[in-house]
Amino acid sequence: MDPVTVSVIQGALENIAVEIGYKLMRMSYSSIIRESEDFGAALVDAEGRGLAESAQSTPLQSGPIPGYVKNVLATLRARGDAIRPGDVIMHNDPYGGASHGPDVAFIVPVFHGEELVGFAATTAHHLDIGALTPGSCGIVDAIDAYAEGLQFKAIKVHDAGRRNEAVWQILRDNLRASDLVVGDMEAQVAASRIGAERMAALVGQWGLPAFRAACEALMDHAERLMRQAIARLPEGSWRAETRIDGFLDDPDPARRELPLVATITKRGDGLVVDLTGTAPQVPDRPINMPFAGTVDVAVWLTVRSVLLDTAVHGHIPVNEGLTRPIEIVAPRGCLANPEFPAPTIARFAPGNQLADTVMKALAQAVPGQVSAGIGNLKVIAFSGLRGGSHWVHMEIFEGSYGGRPDADGMDAVDTLYANTRNNPVEDIESHLPLRVERYELREGVAGPGRFRGGLGSVREFRFLEDGGASVEGEGHRFRPWGFAGGGDGAPAALTLRRADGTERALPSKAPHMPVRAGDLFVCVGPAGGGYGDPFERDPEAVRADVLDGLLPAEAARRDYGVVLAADGAVDVPATARARAG
Amino acid sequence: MILVGVDVGGTFTDLVLAEPEAGRTAIHKVSSTPEDPSVGVVEGILGLCRSADVAPSGVAHVLHGTTIATNAALQHRGAECGMITTRGYRDVLHIGRHQRPQHYSIQQRIPWQDTPLVKRRHRLVVGERLVPPRGEVLVPLAEEEVREAARALRAAGVESIAVCFLFSYLNPAHERRAREIVLEEHPDAFVTLSSEIAPQFREFERFTTAAMNAFVGPEVRGYVRRLEGRMREAGLLADLHIMASNGGVATAQGVAERPVATMLSGPAAGVLGGTWAGALSGRGDLITLDIGGTSADIGIVTGGRFAEATARDTWIAGFPLLTPMIDIHTIGAGGGSIARVDAGGAFRVGPQSAGAVPGPAGYGRGGVRPTVTDANIVLGRLDPGNFLGGAMALDPAASGRVVGELAAELRLTIEEAALGVLTIVNANMANAIRGRTVQKGIDPRGYALVAFGGAGPLHAVDVARGLGVREVLVPPHPGITSAMGLLTTDLKYDAVRTLFQTSGALDLSRMSADFAAMEAEIAAQFALDGVDPARAAFERAGDLRYAGQGYELRVAFSAGAVDEALVAAALDRFHAQHRAEYGHAFPASPVEIVNLRVTGLGPRPKLGRPEPRHGGTLVEATLRRAPVVFAGADNRPVRAETAFLARDRLPVGESIPGPAIVLQTDSTTVVPPGCTLIAEAGGNLLIAL
Repeated sequence: MDPVTVSVIQGALENIAVEIGYKLMRMSYSSIIRESEDFGAALVDAEGRGLAESAQSTPLQSGPIPGYVKNVLATLRARGDAIRPGDVIMHNDPYGGASHGPDVAFIVPVFHGEELVGFAATTAHHLDIGALTPGSCGIVDAIDAYAEGLQFKAIKVHDAGRRNEAVWQILRDNLRASDLVVGDMEAQVAASRIGAERMAALVGQWGLPAFRAACEALMDHAERLMRQAIARLPEGSWRAETRIDGFLDDPDPARRELPLVATITKRGDGLVVDLTGTAPQVPDRPINMPFAGTVDVAVWLTVRSVLLDTAVHGHIPVNEGLTRPIEIVAPRGCLANPEFPAPTIARFAPGNQLADTVMKALAQAVPGQVSAGIGNLKVIAFSGLRGGSHWVHMEIFEGSYGGRPDADGMDAVDTLYANTRNNPVEDIESHLPLRVERYELREGVAGPGRFRGGLGSVREFRFLEDGGASVEGEGHRFRPWGFAGGGDGAPAALTLRRADGTERALPSKAPHMPVRAGDLFVCVGPAGGGYGDPFERDPEAVRADVLDGLLPAEAARRDYGVVLAADGAVDVPATARARAG
Repeated sequence: MILVGVDVGGTFTDLVLAEPEAGRTAIHKVSSTPEDPSVGVVEGILGLCRSADVAPSGVAHVLHGTTIATNAALQHRGAECGMITTRGYRDVLHIGRHQRPQHYSIQQRIPWQDTPLVKRRHRLVVGERLVPPRGEVLVPLAEEEVREAARALRAAGVESIAVCFLFSYLNPAHERRAREIVLEEHPDAFVTLSSEIAPQFREFERFTTAAMNAFVGPEVRGYVRRLEGRMREAGLLADLHIMASNGGVATAQGVAERPVATMLSGPAAGVLGGTWAGALSGRGDLITLDIGGTSADIGIVTGGRFAEATARDTWIAGFPLLTPMIDIHTIGAGGGSIARVDAGGAFRVGPQSAGAVPGPAGYGRGGVRPTVTDANIVLGRLDPGNFLGGAMALDPAASGRVVGELAAELRLTIEEAALGVLTIVNANMANAIRGRTVQKGIDPRGYALVAFGGAGPLHAVDVARGLGVREVLVPPHPGITSAMGLLTTDLKYDAVRTLFQTSGALDLSRMSADFAAMEAEIAAQFALDGVDPARAAFERAGDLRYAGQGYELRVAFSAGAVDEALVAAALDRFHAQHRAEYGHAFPASPVEIVNLRVTGLGPRPKLGRPEPRHGGTLVEATLRRAPVVFAGADNRPVRAETAFLARDRLPVGESIPGPAIVLQTDSTTVVPPGCTLIAEAGGNLLIAL
């Protein structure tokens, strides 16, 4: 295949994927999609192999799309059904490629004449999926897959061009805030269809043989980049373990403080990522992680971000080729490969911890390409009833990165496989009975290091009317790991301060609870681990943190051996003595 | 009346003088003086006056496009800034939207964290809190705390202070009072209010816009004062206007207060210049394509009006800015873009650029990597002896060497490789144009492509082909089209008010009052600027979305009292626009009016049409004939005997079949086989595909 055509077709595919994402984000109603950008858009070939993804969107949404499509193909085949022009297929089966139930895909096939040539698909996190309590986060007490809400297994919402009204009626009848959710689904259909039209036109322009040859070539190209990066690793096998909170308030030890283990072995220019040693699945609590859709994406994302970091390597096309050199092994029945009908809806934070565990293993191989341990994330679903209908607002609370080989950790950001956005305070308060009373960096706490860990945030939400809330997150119990002599970071915390003056520390997972007007959630985000010996930190950087109110002077002395004079300048001789001693 | 347009670029300062009544124009180019661009500007104007035989005192208006603010932002060289903000929100600027710029990167840097506009030590909080829906006061302003903060910032050597309070766009009283107090304590401070600079919701973006204004403010203010001073010393009595990102000009005083409004000063003038050129050919639906050494700027003009960027798509130097801007899409594709084979064997062009130094290998200044310009040289499209009117000799052997190495790596012939470089870079540009046309419901096939900048006319036909565009226009002086654009502007001011009301429950009297207040505000500014009120024009618009959505579309509102019919017409336009932009509409859903806007236009004297050209004959115009490589069937290289033509001697109105290469001092136009070229009497080259 001539390299010019490959380059041109690849650019065109990426352009289409970007257009799909752009349109979905702008058309959609729920803040979780349009502000948080918790959606995905991608093009795949007729076998479901990923060809291009939207640059917007969050990795945990676009990454699984090929898996959704592959499972839809298998499901329809098993059912004796086929893909036809005019179909739009809805799918959210976490045991069939979906990331979890609320992330519903709408998939539109692309035909060239009679021949199926690929799919345009979007996924999006929906506000509600008909689970036991309002919202689609914080459903941490679902006991099985059925308690998590509606399950769609390759359902044709448009069948050969005919709209399947019954299905749409079921959606409207079974989802809370259904105006918003169904509107978002319609937006997904519209955006996916535009992508399918564009892709069909592209195939028409180049002809099918050239298009297919270019797709093979661009996947092979990405595969080569990944294999070369793996080949540069030293020989070896690297094991890492971290722990998730699980359910810290649960009397059953099998549901709390659970290990995640990743052992990465280099085999030539391929990697085996073996998750053996990870805790057994929790059969009746939804922190199990779908193997295809969550676990695979967590591994791919981390390996790619470390070995083919965009800041170092520039733009690298995202397609199936990047994943080919990576084999993932997870024993059946463990947290990372659960068996149906174990619930999975709250797999978000454990999956990100798995990504962190993979980075911790890679850190041993390529210490100059990682960060120290990340601070994990949390989602709170705020909800209430107004005039008989629900309002639901899901807010993702940021974590932070660990220190890096030549820079401090990123402060108060989404981490690893998530990259959503917060909602503006001025938007939230204009539309919801909530008030955000504080949104600032968390002072005085960061994993010390030559490059310190990223800072957490402090965010406070007050209810102005009665309502409810549920919480799903991680990182209350264990500190983000320090690396190469750096200190550990700080865990997260969540407090509910009631209007009546009582106060309660909440665990990282809390099922739906009633909330009264005046009650305040105080969410303190985690601080990342430090990288390198803090006594090697540039004293001026320590001084800057003190001036910026991020580090108390006594901590500068204790953690960094930096002594500041009365005028605030670094006391050089005293610092030298403190660091020597 | 004599007008002068001055566009300052990184290397050259372009100037154009026009006397519309006499139908005359003159152009001039001098080297820029980056350490203080006002030196080059004034020297250039004086030089132009001399060559045009005009007394400096005879120039009535100087219109200026400047990159002072943009460069300060890009190079992160700005003032030591402070911020006074609402207690509890000290770090809005630092946390941003908590999103990382890159998905797949551990080592990335975040501009607002790594290179903050205001250091945390200078972000001070005070007691005050406003709440929606109307900016009611929940916590009164703690004036003593403002005073202490101002003193502390002054003591710390801070010269520029942004005052940024939550919900100030609903009620600016606290910010205004805070400014009074700050100026009492720190009279020399440059003070920016978020409610004045961008009175709309989304605190991170509004605060960042205010902080950017504070960051570049003192430098821009100093520059404007220096320039005015130098002009006076040189006997230039002209009044000075500066190009703003919104496609209008502002007074020097206005820009000194609101420098953030000039971030796209240069590219905006380019879109206007392209619009002016389109009008010379009677075309109002245009794609403007300005290709320079490192980047290409794309603008869309429909019915003679340029597209405006939606407020959430406007970023400069990695920071989001909420200021009205022409929708200009910039991509890293230009003459200096480097072609390479990546580690995985893929053929890439750009975004890395060889820049002006070392530049393309063919410039003979030490460049060793193959660039787009080298590909053009290898294919014979640039005339080595006539580049920039002969001002710079090209080294075709050096271009052949580096493109040859690339070809060997790709296992292609040298001509295939060179053609491949152009195919890829042109496809990148076509994709970018598709993003602003096809993807927004605009069919580019009915548009003409106006190509300018040094490299625009080299690539225009190939880019147009990729889009199905049938006509390419090349303006009279492609290299100074931006300077020409400066002479086509009106005074332009934008006002905005956030409304947040939903169809079915609209407060029509409030809307009327908001529009009237904004019009009065702009009229007052016009009065200060000396605009004849009878000639001032106002345009109304709203930012609308379906209730629940997060992105607004800009929709025109009619003039007059706001009544049901006026609103219904605007809502109809919204539904239609939503369908056009996104391919779908939700006509049954309620619509939220997020912002109301008024744009005021104060007309100014403008560049007219150039004198009709007379031209020569094809024989006179033909400098030589030589083989040039074009893409044949299946994109294979085909050599064709090609006429090299001198633009100023082309016969007017005569159809000339391609292939042809048209040479002029500031650009080279490629007319591939199968196209025809007409030198129009109006001044443009028209290439029909």
